Formats: sequence, structure tokens, C-alpha cells
Amino acid sequence: MTRVVPVPQHLNHLSVDQLAAGIGPWPPAQRLLVDAHATEWSSPAGFVALLTLGQALAELAAPKPELTLPAKANVTSYWAKAGLLRHAEELFDLHGRVPKRAAAETSDVLVPVTIIRNAADVTEVVNRITVHATRILTEELELDAKVIGGFGQSLSEMCQNIVEHAGTAGWVAVHVYVYRKRLSGRKVGVIAVSDAGIGFRRSLEATQGKRLGDRWNDAQAIETALIHGISRFRDPGRGQGLTGTKRYLARWEGKISIRSGTARVALVPAWDDEAPRTEGLPWFPGSQVTIVIPGKEPAT
Amino acid sequence: MSAIIRIDVALREAVATPYPHLVTRPTGVAVRHRVLAVLRDSSDDDAQLDFSQVGLMDFSCADEVIAKLLVEILDLPLQRLMLRGVHENHADAIEHALVRYDLVVVALLMESAELSLLGAAPEDWRAAFRALTRIGRAPAPPVANALSWTVPRTVSALEGLARRRCVLAYPDATFELGAVA
Repeated sequence: MTRVVPVPQHLNHLSVDQLAAGIGPWPPAQRLLVDAHATEWSSPAGFVALLTLGQALAELAAPKPELTLPAKANVTSYWAKAGLLRHAEELFDLHGRVPKRAAAETSDVLVPVTIIRNAADVTEVVNRITVHATRILTEELELDAKVIGGFGQSLSEMCQNIVEHAGTAGWVAVHVYVYRKRLSGRKVGVIAVSDAGIGFRRSLEATQGKRLGDRWNDAQAIETALIHGISRFRDPGRGQGLTGTKRYLARWEGKISIRSGTARVALVPAWDDEAPRTEGLPWFPGSQVTIVIPGKEPAT
Repeated sequence: MSAIIRIDVALREAVATPYPHLVTRPTGVAVRHRVLAVLRDSSDDDAQLDFSQVGLMDFSCADEVIAKLLVEILDLPLQRLMLRGVHENHADAIEHALVRYDLVVVALLMESAELSLLGAAPEDWRAAFRALTRIGRAPAPPVANALSWTVPRTVSALEGLARRRCVLAYPDATFELGAVA
């Protein structure tokens, strides 16, 4: 028997909830068929979430899931360019025409979907951003050097969190696109990171769980790390990655949204209306982090 | 004499990376150990860490390379440790890391001719530091005069800076920023 998991028409860090709802109880009792035939667009957060689902199933030694590719050729072609398909081939049995197109860094794909397993992978990704993306971030988003430096620092820290806290590998992708509604056509840089690891609650449970007793849950765990800068390590220098990133985002009107388990917590700038704390979401493996940095406001 | 330690060289010696970026905690730990070994072997009482050829530095590396180094060198007979060639994004990360430990360090930022303090420095320390920048080597009274402070308040600020190895304190009760090579 196979359970069909529909992929939303527009897959982003919020509509991952719909994907999660389709999975049903975890671990799944049936083989999953992840059906993206009607999907027309995915953000980098959608890409890394899809791979996280495949990876989580692989780590359970569950039957290899199937992935039906988008029916529209241009969408599948973009998925190949964004680097999703080369990794998806290993985690899913793919249905549909797989374009030959190789993953590429372009003006909108600053870092194609990349696996993060260790510190060397983090360094490699950071170097790609500084070499390839600086021109795009400078010219297209009109960000100054200080903002670009912080973008690289945030990318590095989010990727390191996978290596240090997840207990397994994860994925990162960095894109540039236009926010037509929320930012009246301004371009944004988006970092999406996801892993299939133990999640914020389990990572912090041993040191923070007892203190909060029955109030300890996924949302509380995310807030403990994001709002209070607390890490599972006792070293006072730990927890700096998220707090430094938070400070950087506050300075440049950026946004961070973290989903882990059944909750999502976001630090929301004035231009966005995402809920700051959402609980009771359908469970999804690991942790997902999305960071958005808006480009310079266009001259009117 | 001042020992000048190029951090890009320490990075290449400590980890096999072709990149000039100070990122990830394991990299930071390896670089700190390398720098610490050089400082322990040095006979100089003044050291400068040169970041001019370093690319990106993340918050974790700022913690490992600068903050933890400042804690670990407390037993060394160093009078002053200074950072130079510090890029703007380095300065942000270093400042963020040092504040968590209540530490402060002297830095010469890229494209700046003046030394500045990064980290947790009380306003009195910053004012005394700026005054000493203008005056040069001096005892507390001229600095107090320049700031319209009492001498004890000035001595307290200058001695605080000297304890954190941000200025040089001499046996004749004078203070100075020290050479910037």
C-alpha cells in the first residue's frame, strides 16, 4: 500500500505544514508517494524540506519514497537548476521526466541545494556565497558590504547548527527573488536550512526541559534558543550564532522563521505578517530555518 | 617589541583549507591553539593579531579566536594584545562575542587611522582611551584635565584599560596606547 502526500501548488516555509499534514502518523506505516505533479513553484525552504522528508525516511530504513515531479517542464527544469533533483534522485524514486540540466549558480540561485555534513561543507558553502553571490547581492539587492558580511555570517551559523545540534546531515539553499506583495517588488535574499535531526526540543531538553516542566514543548524550545540565546552547551560562548544572526536581522529589517516538530516561531519585521508563534502544527522531522534579508528599497 | 601574528597564515597552518574565511567552531579552535602556541613561544611583551587578509569571520570564530584567546592568555606576561586589519564584519562579530564575556580589546579597523575599543568597555574607559589617543604617553593628571575629570576617576579608567591589556602601564605611572606597526 502507498500513501499519497500532496505537495502544495506553492511550496514555501509556511505551506510545508500542508506537506506535513499529508504524511500522517510518524513513522509512516505505508510507503509514501510525494506528489508534486501540480506544484508550480517552490521556495528554497520547500526544496530543503522535501529532501529532509526523504532523508528522515532513509534514516528510518523505511521503504524508499516516490516523488512525482511537477507536470510543467519549466518547473521541473527549475528544480534541476536549483540543485534539488540531483539529491532527490538518491532519496526518492522519481516519476516524470528528469531534465538533464545541471545544478547551477545563477543570478537567482546563489547556492544550489547543498548537503551539509561537517564543518568543511559549511566552509565550502560560505566561500561560494562570498565568491559568487557578492556581486549579485551588491548589484541586484543593492546591499552594502556590511549587510553582505552579515548574510554570510548568518549562513555560516545556520549551517553549523546542523553539524553541532542535529546529529545528522542537513541541507541548505540560498536564492534571490522578488517579494511582489509584501515588499512591493523589492528583491530579497533567502537562506533556507533544514535537517532531519533531533529538533530543538530534544536538543535542549536535558538542560532546559526540567526547568520548564510541563510547559516544555517545541515552541518553548525554539524560543529558548532564538529569543533567550540559550544553547545546550554550558560554555558562555555558545548560542552566539542565533543571537548574532538575530541582532543582524533586527538591524537590517530581516526575518527569521524556525519550524521544529509541531511549532514555528518567527521574528517578524514590520513588512511581514507571519504569526510570531504557532503551535499544534502537523509534525515534520528535524528543524527548518528560513532567513529573509530585503534588498534596498527601489527609488520612487 | 611587538609580535605580529597574521591570522590568515595561522588559519592555513592550522587547518587544510584553501579559503581565507574564519568560519566554524572547529576552525576557530584550531586557529586559537596555533596563535596561543606562537604567543607562548614569543619573548615580546606586546602582540598584534593581523586580520587584514581574512575574509569572512562568523560569530562562532569570533568567540573561539578572540574571546576565548583573551581568557586563555591571562597567565602570559603580555602587556598588550591588539587586533589590526579588522574589517567591518569582523568588528561586528568580535564585539558581539566579547560582550558575552565582559571583555574588551583594542582594534585598528581597516581604512581607519585611529585605534578603537571593541567589546564591553564602560563609557569612562572609552573616553579615557580617546583622550590618551590624542595626548600620547602621559600620567593620569593631563588626561583628567583633558576630560575635566578628577584624577582618581581617570586613574580608575586607565588602570582598568591596562588590566585588560588595552593600554601600556609603565612603572613611572604613565600610560600609552603603544606602537601600531
